[in-house]
Amino acid sequence: MSSSLLQMNTIFISILIEALPFILLGVIISGIIQIFVTDEMMAKAIPKNKFGAIVLASVIGALFPACECGIVPITRRLMAKGVPLYAAIPFMLTGPIINPVVLFATFVAFGNDWKIMIERGLVAFLVSLIVGLILAFQFKTPQVKNEIHVHTASKKMSEKIGEALKHTIDEFFSVGKFVIIGGLIAAAMQTYVKTSTLMALGHGAVSSNIVMMGLSYILSLCSSADAFIASSFRSTFNDSAIIAFLVFGPMFDIKNTLMMLSQFKTKFVFSLFAYVFILVLVLSLLIVH
Amino acid sequence: MFRVLILLGFTMIFMHLHATGDISKYINMKYSWISYGTIFLLWFLTIAELVFYMTGSDEKEHDHNCDCGCGHSHESPKKWKRRAWYPLYFLPVLTVFFLPVATLDSNIVEAKGFHFPIYDKKDPYSSHQFLQPDTSSFYGEDAYYKMIHKDLKKFSKGDTINLEDEEFLNAMETIYRFPGEFTGKQIKFKGFMYHTKELKDNQYFLFRFGIIHCIADSGVFGMLVQFPDDVSFKNDDWVTVTGEVSTMYYQPFKKTIPIVKVTKVKREEKPDDPYVYRNNQ
Repeated sequence: MSSSLLQMNTIFISILIEALPFILLGVIISGIIQIFVTDEMMAKAIPKNKFGAIVLASVIGALFPACECGIVPITRRLMAKGVPLYAAIPFMLTGPIINPVVLFATFVAFGNDWKIMIERGLVAFLVSLIVGLILAFQFKTPQVKNEIHVHTASKKMSEKIGEALKHTIDEFFSVGKFVIIGGLIAAAMQTYVKTSTLMALGHGAVSSNIVMMGLSYILSLCSSADAFIASSFRSTFNDSAIIAFLVFGPMFDIKNTLMMLSQFKTKFVFSLFAYVFILVLVLSLLIVH
Repeated sequence: MFRVLILLGFTMIFMHLHATGDISKYINMKYSWISYGTIFLLWFLTIAELVFYMTGSDEKEHDHNCDCGCGHSHESPKKWKRRAWYPLYFLPVLTVFFLPVATLDSNIVEAKGFHFPIYDKKDPYSSHQFLQPDTSSFYGEDAYYKMIHKDLKKFSKGDTINLEDEEFLNAMETIYRFPGEFTGKQIKFKGFMYHTKELKDNQYFLFRFGIIHCIADSGVFGMLVQFPDDVSFKNDDWVTVTGEVSTMYYQPFKKTIPIVKVTKVKREEKPDDPYVYRNNQ
Protein backbone atom coordinates (compact mmCIF):
# COMPACT_ATOMS: atom_id res chain seq x y z
CA MET A 1 0.00 0.00 0.00
CA SER A 2 1.36 3.41 -0.90
CA SER A 3 2.88 5.42 1.89
CA SER A 4 0.69 8.43 1.25
CA LEU A 5 -2.42 6.30 1.71
CA LEU A 6 -1.04 5.06 5.03
CA GLN A 7 -0.30 8.65 6.03
CA MET A 8 -3.82 9.62 5.15
CA ASN A 9 -5.16 6.79 7.28
CA THR A 10 -2.94 7.84 10.19
CA ILE A 11 -4.17 11.43 9.97
CA PHE A 12 -7.76 10.14 9.72
CA ILE A 13 -7.38 8.03 12.87
CA SER A 14 -5.77 10.91 14.74
CA ILE A 15 -8.70 13.18 13.82
CA LEU A 16 -11.08 10.53 15.16
CA ILE A 17 -9.12 10.09 18.37
CA GLU A 18 -9.09 13.81 18.91
CA ALA A 19 -12.75 14.39 18.06
CA LEU A 20 -14.42 11.33 19.55
CA PRO A 21 -14.08 12.23 23.24
CA PHE A 22 -15.69 15.61 22.58
CA ILE A 23 -18.43 14.12 20.45
CA LEU A 24 -19.19 11.62 23.22
CA LEU A 25 -19.35 14.50 25.66
CA GLY A 26 -21.67 16.36 23.28
CA VAL A 27 -24.07 13.43 22.87
CA ILE A 28 -24.06 12.74 26.62
CA ILE A 29 -24.96 16.36 27.39
CA SER A 30 -27.57 16.14 24.67
CA GLY A 31 -29.00 12.98 26.25
CA ILE A 32 -29.13 14.67 29.64
CA ILE A 33 -30.88 17.73 28.21
CA GLN A 34 -33.36 15.49 26.43
CA ILE A 35 -34.50 13.82 29.60
CA PHE A 36 -33.92 16.30 32.41
CA VAL A 37 -34.66 19.69 30.89
CA THR A 38 -38.32 20.42 30.32
CA ASP A 39 -39.95 22.70 27.81
CA GLU A 40 -41.23 24.86 30.64
CA MET A 41 -37.73 25.44 32.01
CA MET A 42 -36.55 26.52 28.57
CA ALA A 43 -39.55 28.73 27.93
CA LYS A 44 -38.87 30.53 31.20
CA ALA A 45 -35.17 30.96 30.49
CA ILE A 46 -35.50 32.46 27.03
CA PRO A 47 -36.40 36.16 26.84
CA LYS A 48 -39.59 36.92 24.91
CA ASN A 49 -37.83 39.72 23.09
CA LYS A 50 -36.10 38.27 20.00
CA PHE A 51 -33.08 40.51 20.18
CA GLY A 52 -32.65 39.76 23.87
CA ALA A 53 -32.85 36.05 23.12
CA ILE A 54 -30.16 36.31 20.43
CA VAL A 55 -27.80 38.27 22.66
CA LEU A 56 -28.36 35.89 25.57
CA ALA A 57 -27.79 32.85 23.34
CA SER A 58 -24.53 34.29 22.00
CA VAL A 59 -23.34 35.06 25.52
CA ILE A 60 -24.24 31.58 26.78
CA GLY A 61 -22.44 30.11 23.76
CA ALA A 62 -19.45 32.21 24.74
CA LEU A 63 -19.42 30.87 28.27
CA PHE A 64 -19.99 27.30 27.19
CA PRO A 65 -16.69 25.52 26.53
CA ALA A 66 -17.60 23.30 23.60
CA CYS A 67 -15.84 22.40 20.41
CA GLU A 68 -17.36 22.50 16.97
CA CYS A 69 -17.98 18.74 16.86
CA GLY A 70 -19.77 18.45 20.18
CA ILE A 71 -22.01 21.46 19.86
CA VAL A 72 -24.19 20.39 16.91
CA PRO A 73 -26.10 17.63 18.75
CA ILE A 74 -26.44 19.88 21.81
CA THR A 75 -27.90 22.67 19.68
CA ARG A 76 -30.29 20.27 18.00
CA ARG A 77 -31.47 18.98 21.37
CA LEU A 78 -32.01 22.46 22.76
CA MET A 79 -34.21 23.19 19.75
CA ALA A 80 -36.26 20.09 20.49
CA LYS A 81 -36.87 21.63 23.90
CA GLY A 82 -38.29 24.75 22.36
CA VAL A 83 -35.28 27.03 21.86
CA PRO A 84 -36.09 29.00 18.70
CA LEU A 85 -33.82 28.72 15.67
CA TYR A 86 -32.66 32.34 15.89
CA ALA A 87 -31.32 31.76 19.41
CA ALA A 88 -29.99 28.22 18.94
CA ILE A 89 -27.80 29.04 15.95
CA PRO A 90 -25.94 31.98 17.59
CA PHE A 91 -25.26 29.62 20.50
CA MET A 92 -23.85 27.06 18.07
CA LEU A 93 -21.69 29.66 16.32
CA THR A 94 -20.10 31.34 19.34
CA GLY A 95 -19.73 28.16 21.41
CA PRO A 96 -16.58 26.82 19.74
CA ILE A 97 -14.81 30.19 19.39
CA ILE A 98 -15.49 32.46 22.32
CA ASN A 99 -14.55 30.47 25.38
CA PRO A 100 -11.70 30.69 27.85
CA VAL A 101 -9.75 27.72 26.48
CA VAL A 102 -9.82 28.82 22.85
CA LEU A 103 -9.15 32.49 23.57
CA PHE A 104 -6.21 31.70 25.82
CA ALA A 105 -4.78 29.40 23.15
CA THR A 106 -5.16 32.22 20.63
CA PHE A 107 -3.43 34.64 22.97
CA VAL A 108 -0.46 32.33 23.48
CA ALA A 109 -0.21 31.28 19.84
CA PHE A 110 0.11 34.87 18.72
CA GLY A 111 2.71 35.61 21.34
CA ASN A 112 1.39 38.08 23.84
CA ASP A 113 -0.94 39.54 21.29
CA TRP A 114 -4.20 40.95 22.60
CA LYS A 115 -5.13 42.22 19.18
CA ILE A 116 -5.75 38.90 17.43
CA MET A 117 -7.53 37.41 20.43
CA ILE A 118 -9.91 40.35 20.85
CA GLU A 119 -10.58 40.64 17.14
CA ARG A 120 -11.30 36.93 16.90
CA GLY A 121 -13.85 37.14 19.70
CA LEU A 122 -15.37 40.37 18.43
CA VAL A 123 -15.82 39.24 14.82
CA ALA A 124 -17.27 35.90 15.98
CA PHE A 125 -19.72 37.63 18.30
CA LEU A 126 -20.89 40.09 15.65
CA VAL A 127 -21.28 37.34 13.04
CA SER A 128 -23.46 35.29 15.38
CA LEU A 129 -25.58 38.31 16.38
CA ILE A 130 -26.26 39.31 12.79
CA VAL A 131 -26.94 35.72 11.73
CA GLY A 132 -29.41 35.45 14.63
CA LEU A 133 -31.21 38.60 13.51
CA ILE A 134 -31.45 37.44 9.90
CA LEU A 135 -32.77 34.04 10.97
CA ALA A 136 -35.35 35.64 13.27
CA PHE A 137 -36.90 37.39 10.28
CA GLN A 138 -36.34 34.82 7.58
CA PHE A 139 -37.40 31.52 9.12
CA LYS A 140 -40.56 30.97 11.09
CA THR A 141 -40.14 27.19 11.40
CA PRO A 142 -37.33 25.27 13.14
CA GLN A 143 -35.69 24.02 9.88
CA VAL A 144 -34.78 20.69 11.44
CA LYS A 145 -35.07 17.23 9.97
CA ASN A 146 -37.29 14.63 11.68
CA GLU A 147 -38.88 16.65 14.42
CA ILE A 148 -37.84 15.10 17.72
CA HIS A 149 -40.66 14.68 20.17
CA VAL A 150 -40.01 15.30 23.76
CA HIS A 151 -40.81 12.78 26.43
CA THR A 152 -43.01 14.55 28.89
CA ALA A 153 -44.35 11.67 30.92
CA SER A 154 -42.99 11.81 34.42
CA LYS A 155 -41.00 8.72 35.28
CA LYS A 156 -38.86 7.22 37.96
CA MET A 157 -35.27 8.44 38.15
CA SER A 158 -33.83 5.09 37.06
CA GLU A 159 -36.08 5.05 34.00
CA LYS A 160 -35.06 8.58 33.17
CA ILE A 161 -31.38 7.67 33.31
CA GLY A 162 -32.02 4.68 31.08
CA GLU A 163 -33.82 6.91 28.60
CA ALA A 164 -31.01 9.46 28.65
CA LEU A 165 -28.49 6.71 27.94
CA LYS A 166 -30.54 5.37 25.07
CA HIS A 167 -30.76 8.84 23.56
CA THR A 168 -27.03 9.27 24.01
CA ILE A 169 -26.30 6.11 22.05
CA ASP A 170 -28.88 6.92 19.34
CA GLU A 171 -27.32 10.33 18.96
CA PHE A 172 -23.83 8.85 18.77
CA PHE A 173 -24.91 6.69 15.85
CA SER A 174 -26.72 9.52 14.14
CA VAL A 175 -23.71 11.87 14.11
CA GLY A 176 -20.88 9.31 14.21
CA LYS A 177 -21.02 8.42 10.54
CA PHE A 178 -20.61 12.05 9.55
CA VAL A 179 -17.60 12.44 11.79
CA ILE A 180 -16.04 9.42 10.08
CA ILE A 181 -16.79 10.70 6.57
CA GLY A 182 -15.69 14.23 7.50
CA GLY A 183 -12.49 12.91 9.05
CA LEU A 184 -11.74 10.90 5.90
CA ILE A 185 -12.26 13.88 3.61
CA ALA A 186 -10.20 16.19 5.84
CA ALA A 187 -7.37 13.62 5.99
CA ALA A 188 -7.43 13.23 2.21
CA MET A 189 -7.29 17.00 1.77
CA GLN A 190 -4.33 17.27 4.14
CA THR A 191 -2.45 14.51 2.33
CA TYR A 192 -3.24 15.17 -1.30
CA VAL A 193 -4.18 18.82 -1.76
CA LYS A 194 -1.24 21.16 -1.87
CA THR A 195 -1.81 24.14 0.38
CA SER A 196 0.41 26.14 -1.94
CA THR A 197 -1.93 25.76 -4.91
CA LEU A 198 -4.76 27.06 -2.79
CA MET A 199 -2.66 29.95 -1.55
CA ALA A 200 -1.55 30.85 -5.05
CA LEU A 201 -5.19 31.73 -5.72
CA GLY A 202 -5.08 34.95 -3.85
CA HIS A 203 -2.98 37.54 -2.15
CA GLY A 204 -5.23 40.54 -2.61
CA ALA A 205 -7.25 42.05 0.23
CA VAL A 206 -10.43 40.10 -0.46
CA SER A 207 -9.01 37.03 -2.15
CA SER A 208 -6.51 36.27 0.63
CA ASN A 209 -9.35 36.27 3.18
CA ILE A 210 -11.34 33.88 1.00
CA VAL A 211 -8.31 31.62 0.58
CA MET A 212 -7.77 31.45 4.32
CA MET A 213 -11.44 30.70 4.92
CA GLY A 214 -11.27 27.89 2.37
CA LEU A 215 -8.16 26.56 4.06
CA SER A 216 -9.74 26.55 7.51
CA TYR A 217 -12.77 24.77 6.04
CA ILE A 218 -10.82 21.91 4.51
CA LEU A 219 -8.28 21.53 7.32
CA SER A 220 -11.14 21.05 9.83
CA LEU A 221 -8.93 21.80 12.83
CA CYS A 222 -10.08 21.75 16.42
CA SER A 223 -10.80 25.31 17.52
CA SER A 224 -8.37 25.13 20.44
CA ALA A 225 -5.51 24.13 18.14
CA ASP A 226 -6.15 26.23 15.06
CA ALA A 227 -4.56 29.40 16.43
CA PHE A 228 -1.14 27.75 16.42
CA ILE A 229 -1.52 26.84 12.76
CA ALA A 230 -2.86 30.29 11.96
CA SER A 231 0.08 32.02 13.63
CA SER A 232 2.48 30.23 11.29
CA PHE A 233 0.69 31.84 8.35
CA ARG A 234 1.49 35.28 9.68
CA SER A 235 4.51 35.53 7.43
CA THR A 236 2.33 35.02 4.35
CA PHE A 237 -1.02 36.58 5.21
CA ASN A 238 -2.19 39.76 6.87
CA ASP A 239 -4.11 39.82 10.15
CA SER A 240 -7.46 40.27 8.44
CA ALA A 241 -7.07 36.99 6.55
CA ILE A 242 -5.85 35.30 9.75
CA ILE A 243 -8.99 36.41 11.60
CA ALA A 244 -11.15 35.16 8.72
CA PHE A 245 -9.41 31.77 9.14
CA LEU A 246 -9.88 31.77 12.91
CA VAL A 247 -13.55 32.70 12.84
CA PHE A 248 -14.81 30.78 9.83
CA GLY A 249 -13.15 27.41 10.58
CA PRO A 250 -14.82 26.75 13.95
CA MET A 251 -18.20 27.86 12.57
CA PHE A 252 -17.99 25.79 9.40
CA ASP A 253 -15.68 22.96 8.46
CA ILE A 254 -16.03 19.63 6.67
CA LYS A 255 -16.94 17.66 9.79
CA ASN A 256 -19.57 19.94 11.22
CA THR A 257 -21.16 20.77 7.85
CA LEU A 258 -21.92 17.07 7.46
CA MET A 259 -23.19 16.93 11.03
CA MET A 260 -25.45 19.94 10.42
CA LEU A 261 -26.76 18.38 7.22
CA SER A 262 -27.79 15.34 9.24
CA GLN A 263 -29.78 17.49 11.65
CA PHE A 264 -31.03 20.49 9.69
CA LYS A 265 -32.75 20.91 6.35
CA THR A 266 -30.28 21.06 3.49
CA LYS A 267 -31.55 24.38 2.19
CA PHE A 268 -31.17 25.91 5.63
CA VAL A 269 -27.57 24.69 6.02
CA PHE A 270 -26.70 26.27 2.69
CA SER A 271 -28.29 29.62 3.64
CA LEU A 272 -26.48 29.55 6.98
CA PHE A 273 -23.22 28.77 5.19
CA ALA A 274 -23.76 31.72 2.84
CA TYR A 275 -24.56 34.13 5.70
CA VAL A 276 -21.60 33.08 7.79
CA PHE A 277 -19.27 33.15 4.80
CA ILE A 278 -20.28 36.65 3.71
CA LEU A 279 -20.36 38.06 7.24
CA VAL A 280 -16.96 36.66 8.21
CA LEU A 281 -15.48 38.01 4.98
CA VAL A 282 -17.00 41.49 5.30
CA LEU A 283 -16.45 41.90 9.04
CA SER A 284 -12.87 40.62 8.95
CA LEU A 285 -12.11 43.15 6.22
CA LEU A 286 -13.88 46.02 7.99
CA ILE A 287 -12.72 45.45 11.55
CA VAL A 288 -9.23 44.07 11.20
CA HIS A 289 -6.40 46.12 9.78
CA MET B 1 -26.19 -6.35 17.79
CA PHE B 2 -24.15 -4.34 15.30
CA ARG B 3 -24.30 -1.36 17.61
CA VAL B 4 -22.82 -3.36 20.47
CA LEU B 5 -20.04 -4.58 18.18
CA ILE B 6 -19.31 -1.10 16.85
CA LEU B 7 -19.13 0.40 20.35
CA LEU B 8 -16.94 -2.51 21.42
CA GLY B 9 -14.75 -1.91 18.36
CA PHE B 10 -14.29 1.76 19.24
CA THR B 11 -13.49 0.81 22.84
CA MET B 12 -10.90 -1.63 21.51
CA ILE B 13 -9.30 1.09 19.34
CA PHE B 14 -8.64 3.26 22.36
CA MET B 15 -7.55 0.34 24.56
CA HIS B 16 -5.26 -1.03 21.88
CA LEU B 17 -3.57 2.32 21.28
CA HIS B 18 -2.98 2.87 24.99
CA ALA B 19 -1.85 -0.70 25.63
CA THR B 20 0.69 -0.71 22.81
CA GLY B 21 1.76 2.89 23.33
CA ASP B 22 0.95 3.63 19.69
CA ILE B 23 -1.25 6.48 20.91
CA SER B 24 1.89 8.66 20.95
CA LYS B 25 2.09 8.31 17.17
CA TYR B 26 -1.27 10.05 16.85
CA ILE B 27 -1.52 12.65 19.60
CA ASN B 28 0.48 14.87 21.92
CA MET B 29 0.80 12.73 25.06
CA LYS B 30 0.05 15.76 27.20
CA TYR B 31 -3.59 15.18 26.23
CA SER B 32 -3.51 11.39 26.60
CA TRP B 33 -5.71 11.51 29.70
CA ILE B 34 -8.62 12.57 27.49
CA SER B 35 -8.41 9.49 25.28
CA TYR B 36 -7.67 7.35 28.34
CA GLY B 37 -10.88 8.52 30.01
CA THR B 38 -12.71 7.81 26.76
CA ILE B 39 -11.96 4.09 27.21
CA PHE B 40 -14.14 4.01 30.33
CA LEU B 41 -16.85 6.09 28.75
CA LEU B 42 -16.99 3.79 25.73
CA TRP B 43 -17.00 0.66 27.93
CA PHE B 44 -19.91 2.12 29.81
CA LEU B 45 -21.87 2.85 26.61
CA THR B 46 -21.01 -0.59 25.21
CA ILE B 47 -22.41 -2.30 28.30
CA ALA B 48 -25.46 -0.05 28.29
CA GLU B 49 -26.15 -0.89 24.65
CA LEU B 50 -25.61 -4.59 25.40
CA VAL B 51 -28.20 -4.37 28.17
CA PHE B 52 -30.63 -2.59 25.85
CA TYR B 53 -30.01 -5.30 23.28
CA MET B 54 -30.49 -8.17 25.74
CA THR B 55 -33.69 -6.69 27.09
CA GLY B 56 -34.84 -6.08 23.57
CA SER B 57 -35.31 -2.38 24.09
CA ASP B 58 -32.59 -1.00 21.86
CA GLU B 59 -34.27 -0.40 18.53
CA LYS B 60 -37.59 -2.10 19.01
CA GLU B 61 -39.03 0.32 21.48
CA HIS B 62 -38.27 3.22 19.26
CA ASP B 63 -39.66 1.46 16.28
CA HIS B 64 -42.91 0.16 17.62
CA ASN B 65 -44.06 0.74 21.15
CA CYS B 66 -42.63 4.09 22.04
CA ASP B 67 -44.35 4.75 25.34
CA CYS B 68 -44.13 8.47 25.25
CA GLY B 69 -47.14 8.68 23.05
CA CYS B 70 -45.35 10.67 20.43
CA GLY B 71 -46.18 8.10 17.84
CA HIS B 72 -43.15 8.53 15.66
CA SER B 73 -42.91 5.00 14.39
CA HIS B 74 -39.90 4.34 12.26
CA GLU B 75 -40.86 2.00 9.49
CA SER B 76 -38.58 -0.84 8.53
CA PRO B 77 -37.07 0.82 5.42
CA LYS B 78 -35.79 3.59 7.65
CA LYS B 79 -34.27 1.09 10.01
CA TRP B 80 -32.45 -0.58 7.15
CA LYS B 81 -31.32 2.75 5.84
CA ARG B 82 -29.78 3.39 9.23
CA ARG B 83 -28.16 -0.03 9.28
CA ALA B 84 -26.65 0.53 5.86
CA TRP B 85 -24.24 2.95 7.52
CA TYR B 86 -22.92 0.43 10.04
CA PRO B 87 -20.13 -1.00 7.85
CA LEU B 88 -18.61 2.50 7.73
CA TYR B 89 -18.12 2.40 11.50
CA PHE B 90 -15.93 -0.67 11.18
CA LEU B 91 -13.52 1.10 8.84
CA PRO B 92 -11.46 2.87 11.55
CA VAL B 93 -11.51 -0.28 13.68
CA LEU B 94 -10.02 -2.32 10.85
CA THR B 95 -7.42 0.23 9.79
CA VAL B 96 -6.20 0.71 13.35
CA PHE B 97 -5.69 -3.00 13.84
CA PHE B 98 -4.46 -4.03 10.41
CA LEU B 99 -2.58 -1.11 8.89
CA PRO B 100 0.78 0.14 10.15
CA VAL B 101 1.00 3.62 11.65
CA ALA B 102 2.63 5.97 9.16
CA THR B 103 5.04 8.77 10.01
CA LEU B 104 4.60 12.23 8.57
CA ASP B 105 7.47 13.07 6.26
CA SER B 106 8.46 15.27 3.32
CA ASN B 107 5.44 14.02 1.42
CA ILE B 108 3.23 15.87 3.89
CA VAL B 109 5.55 18.89 3.85
CA GLU B 110 4.87 19.04 0.10
CA ALA B 111 1.15 19.07 0.72
CA LYS B 112 0.99 21.32 3.75
CA GLY B 113 3.75 23.71 2.86
CA PHE B 114 5.74 25.45 5.56
CA HIS B 115 5.79 28.87 7.11
CA PHE B 116 7.94 30.51 9.69
CA PRO B 117 6.68 32.54 12.62
CA ILE B 118 8.41 35.69 11.45
CA TYR B 119 7.41 38.78 13.36
CA ASP B 120 7.22 41.88 11.28
CA LYS B 121 9.25 44.60 12.97
CA LYS B 122 6.81 47.22 11.75
CA ASP B 123 3.98 45.54 13.56
CA PRO B 124 3.72 47.43 16.86
CA TYR B 125 2.05 44.48 18.55
CA SER B 126 4.82 42.00 18.01
CA SER B 127 7.92 43.59 19.47
CA HIS B 128 7.10 46.78 21.27
CA GLN B 129 5.21 45.20 24.11
CA PHE B 130 8.25 43.22 25.07
CA LEU B 131 10.39 46.30 25.28
CA GLN B 132 7.76 48.20 27.18
CA PRO B 133 5.72 45.69 29.06
CA ASP B 134 2.46 47.26 29.98
CA THR B 135 1.46 46.42 33.50
CA SER B 136 -1.78 44.77 32.59
CA SER B 137 -2.96 42.44 35.24
CA PHE B 138 -4.17 39.89 32.73
CA TYR B 139 -2.83 36.65 34.05
CA GLY B 140 -2.00 35.08 30.70
CA GLU B 141 0.01 38.05 29.63
CA ASP B 142 2.11 37.95 32.78
CA ALA B 143 2.60 34.25 32.46
CA TYR B 144 3.56 34.68 28.86
CA TYR B 145 6.18 37.35 29.62
CA LYS B 146 7.72 35.13 32.20
CA MET B 147 7.70 32.19 29.87
CA ILE B 148 9.19 33.87 26.85
CA HIS B 149 11.79 35.76 28.86
CA LYS B 150 12.74 32.65 30.73
CA ASP B 151 13.07 30.92 27.38
CA LEU B 152 15.12 33.76 25.97
CA LYS B 153 17.41 33.67 28.98
CA LYS B 154 17.65 29.91 28.91
CA PHE B 155 18.39 29.55 25.22
CA SER B 156 20.60 32.59 24.73
CA LYS B 157 22.73 31.78 27.78
CA GLY B 158 26.21 30.55 26.89
CA ASP B 159 27.54 30.29 23.38
CA THR B 160 26.30 26.83 22.45
CA ILE B 161 22.67 25.87 22.24
CA ASN B 162 22.11 22.14 22.23
CA LEU B 163 18.48 21.60 21.36
CA GLU B 164 16.77 18.62 22.90
CA ASP B 165 13.48 17.44 21.47
CA GLU B 166 11.50 18.61 24.51
CA GLU B 167 12.49 22.23 24.01
CA PHE B 168 12.60 22.26 20.22
CA LEU B 169 9.39 24.20 19.60
CA ASN B 170 9.98 26.73 22.39
CA ALA B 171 13.51 27.33 21.22
CA MET B 172 12.52 27.74 17.58
CA GLU B 173 9.84 30.22 18.56
CA THR B 174 12.35 32.16 20.64
CA ILE B 175 14.96 32.19 17.88
CA TYR B 176 12.48 33.43 15.27
CA ARG B 177 11.24 36.05 17.70
CA PHE B 178 14.63 37.37 18.75
CA PRO B 179 16.99 36.39 15.91
CA GLY B 180 19.40 39.15 16.92
CA GLU B 181 20.02 37.61 20.34
CA PHE B 182 21.21 34.40 18.77
CA THR B 183 23.37 35.61 15.89
CA GLY B 184 26.87 34.23 16.17
CA LYS B 185 25.95 31.53 18.66
CA GLN B 186 26.54 27.84 18.13
CA ILE B 187 23.48 25.67 17.74
CA LYS B 188 23.03 21.92 17.46
CA PHE B 189 19.78 20.18 16.54
CA LYS B 190 18.32 17.15 14.86
CA GLY B 191 15.76 16.89 12.09
CA PHE B 192 15.01 15.61 8.62
CA MET B 193 16.25 17.18 5.42
CA TYR B 194 13.93 18.89 3.00
CA HIS B 195 15.03 20.50 -0.24
CA THR B 196 13.03 22.79 -2.51
CA LYS B 197 13.90 24.13 -5.91
CA GLU B 198 14.24 27.67 -4.54
CA LEU B 199 17.25 26.55 -2.52
CA LYS B 200 20.83 26.30 -3.69
CA ASP B 201 22.57 22.92 -3.65
CA ASN B 202 24.31 23.71 -0.38
CA GLN B 203 21.10 24.79 1.33
CA TYR B 204 18.47 22.59 2.93
CA PHE B 205 15.69 22.97 5.41
CA LEU B 206 16.09 20.91 8.56
CA PHE B 207 12.61 20.22 9.86
CA ARG B 208 10.61 18.51 12.58
CA PHE B 209 6.89 18.00 12.67
CA GLY B 210 5.53 19.83 15.71
CA ILE B 211 2.34 18.51 17.27
CA ILE B 212 -0.17 20.65 19.15
CA HIS B 213 -2.99 18.17 19.91
CA CYS B 214 -2.82 15.47 17.27
CA ILE B 215 -0.91 14.87 14.07
CA ALA B 216 -3.78 16.31 12.04
CA ASP B 217 -2.88 19.74 13.41
CA SER B 218 0.87 19.31 13.07
CA GLY B 219 3.06 21.87 11.37
CA VAL B 220 6.64 21.92 10.17
CA PHE B 221 9.19 23.74 12.29
CA GLY B 222 12.88 24.19 11.76
CA MET B 223 15.54 26.29 10.10
CA LEU B 224 17.35 26.72 6.85
CA VAL B 225 20.80 25.18 7.11
CA GLN B 226 23.63 26.17 4.80
CA PHE B 227 26.68 23.99 4.13
CA PRO B 228 30.08 25.36 3.07
CA ASP B 229 30.03 23.18 -0.06
CA ASP B 230 27.35 21.49 -2.12
CA VAL B 231 26.06 18.35 -0.47
CA SER B 232 23.66 15.69 -1.61
CA PHE B 233 21.09 14.62 0.90
CA LYS B 234 17.75 13.11 0.10
CA ASN B 235 14.49 14.36 1.54
CA ASP B 236 13.74 12.64 4.85
CA ASP B 237 17.41 11.92 5.61
CA TRP B 238 17.82 12.43 9.35
CA VAL B 239 20.87 14.39 10.52
CA THR B 240 22.20 16.36 13.46
CA VAL B 241 23.83 19.62 12.44
CA THR B 242 26.08 21.92 14.42
CA GLY B 243 26.69 25.43 13.23
CA GLU B 244 26.52 29.14 13.77
CA VAL B 245 23.26 31.09 13.76
CA SER B 246 23.14 33.82 11.15
CA THR B 247 20.43 35.53 9.12
CA MET B 248 19.59 35.57 5.44
CA TYR B 249 17.06 37.22 3.17
CA TYR B 250 14.76 34.48 1.89
CA GLN B 251 13.19 35.52 -1.38
CA PRO B 252 10.06 33.31 -1.45
CA PHE B 253 8.90 34.81 1.87
CA LYS B 254 10.41 38.23 1.18
CA LYS B 255 11.65 38.22 4.77
CA THR B 256 14.92 37.86 6.61
CA ILE B 257 15.07 34.55 8.38
CA PRO B 258 17.53 33.05 10.83
CA ILE B 259 19.71 30.31 9.31
CA VAL B 260 22.46 27.97 10.48
CA LYS B 261 25.88 27.97 8.85
CA VAL B 262 26.83 24.34 9.27
CA THR B 263 30.24 23.37 10.61
CA LYS B 264 29.51 19.75 11.43
CA VAL B 265 26.90 17.29 10.20
CA LYS B 266 26.18 13.77 11.36
CA ARG B 267 23.78 11.29 9.79
CA GLU B 268 21.24 9.77 12.17
CA GLU B 269 18.74 6.97 12.24
CA LYS B 270 15.14 8.09 12.19
CA PRO B 271 14.27 8.46 15.89
CA ASP B 272 11.60 6.33 17.56
CA ASP B 273 9.55 9.42 18.18
CA PRO B 274 10.08 11.66 15.17
CA TYR B 275 7.79 14.42 16.41
CA VAL B 276 8.29 17.32 18.78
CA TYR B 277 5.46 18.55 20.97
CA ARG B 278 4.09 21.79 22.27
CA ASN B 279 4.29 21.49 26.02
CA ASN B 280 3.25 24.81 27.39
CA GLN B 281 -0.29 26.06 27.04
